[in-house]
Amino acid sequence: MPTLLISHPASLAHNNGPGHPERPDRLRAIESVLEAEKFQTLVRVQPPAADIEAITLCHPRDYVEEVKEAAPKEGMVQLDADTSMSPGSWEAALRAVGGAMMAVDEVVTKKASNAFVAHRPPGHHAESVRPMGFCIFNQAAIAARHAQRKHGLHRVAVVDFDVHHGNGTQEIFWSDPTLMYCSTHQMPLYPGTGALSERGDHDNIVNAPLRPGDGGAQFKEALESRILPRLQAFGPELIIMSAGFDAHQRDPLANLQFVEDDFAWATRKIMEVADKTAEGRVVSVLEGGYDLQGLSLSAAAHVIALMRG
Amino acid sequence: MAEPNNADIKKLTFERAIEELETIVKRLEEGKVPLEESVAIYERGEQLKRRCEELLRQAEARVEKITLDSSGKPAGTEPLDVN
Repeated sequence: MPTLLISHPASLAHNNGPGHPERPDRLRAIESVLEAEKFQTLVRVQPPAADIEAITLCHPRDYVEEVKEAAPKEGMVQLDADTSMSPGSWEAALRAVGGAMMAVDEVVTKKASNAFVAHRPPGHHAESVRPMGFCIFNQAAIAARHAQRKHGLHRVAVVDFDVHHGNGTQEIFWSDPTLMYCSTHQMPLYPGTGALSERGDHDNIVNAPLRPGDGGAQFKEALESRILPRLQAFGPELIIMSAGFDAHQRDPLANLQFVEDDFAWATRKIMEVADKTAEGRVVSVLEGGYDLQGLSLSAAAHVIALMRG
Repeated sequence: MAEPNNADIKKLTFERAIEELETIVKRLEEGKVPLEESVAIYERGEQLKRRCEELLRQAEARVEKITLDSSGKPAGTEPLDVN
């Protein structure tokens, strides 16, 4: 079975304004490295736009309608200190959710072994009723609930190695014993959440904060000692990766020192758990990563690992 | 207003530096810093912490000199140059 690469040109039409780090060139850089010959066996598909009903799996209808109404016909609208909408943002957001859901459908029905969704805007900071940190809808969380509702999976886990804590996914999963959220992230850093003591109502949140300056060794220690054992014990039937590449040493928005191989290593370790508990079912959705070289090379290493290369 | 390169930190008193550092820690913990500015604010906090540590080391060195010199006779009050 192939690895899917899911992306849509609508992602490029989402614009946060000049000079903003979450920019269309991020996706162009990833697409460019994935044109290399070793990625020829990827099956490349474009996702449909999600319908509003699907988004309400994690966000109240009023919130979705508010975002829809905020979308400008021209110019920019600011949703929070970091997050804006341009005329192309609404469709980009719907395609991003649609891509994560399509990835779940294809992987759960065994049409693909796994999938990488290269989309914008990212999602893991989006809380149920609050856009923030470049994020509008929480793709990873919606994909998890979609896997439960449409495919009848019981337990789904999100593993998030973006350098920022995924406060949105944590908030949405907090009281749901059928969903687990695991995260490595730099602390202190935006958004301020993600302490070890934040464990969810059912011990279903696993935070492993890293210190500024930490690199691959500390990342591996955190993943192996804190996250992977808990993940395996939870027994997820699908693992969704919130794949942010801003813990890379070149990234301008954080202070961790990861290199490309660290992301590949983590991807393989998470896949090992999926092989044991989830029949190998893994879906990866793009989150952050703001240095174009660090982002694109890390994403390439991540995808090679997904392809079991 | 902070200078962009944080050069102003070298001129801050201990009280001013610790006050600003406490404000930064509170803002980071409460998530009140925009994502894009978060790392710059954290790095300013690190430099403020270093400034506070430097001033504390200087103060400790002065105290230490008085203690070490008090061998029966009163020690001089000349400050120790730790630089």
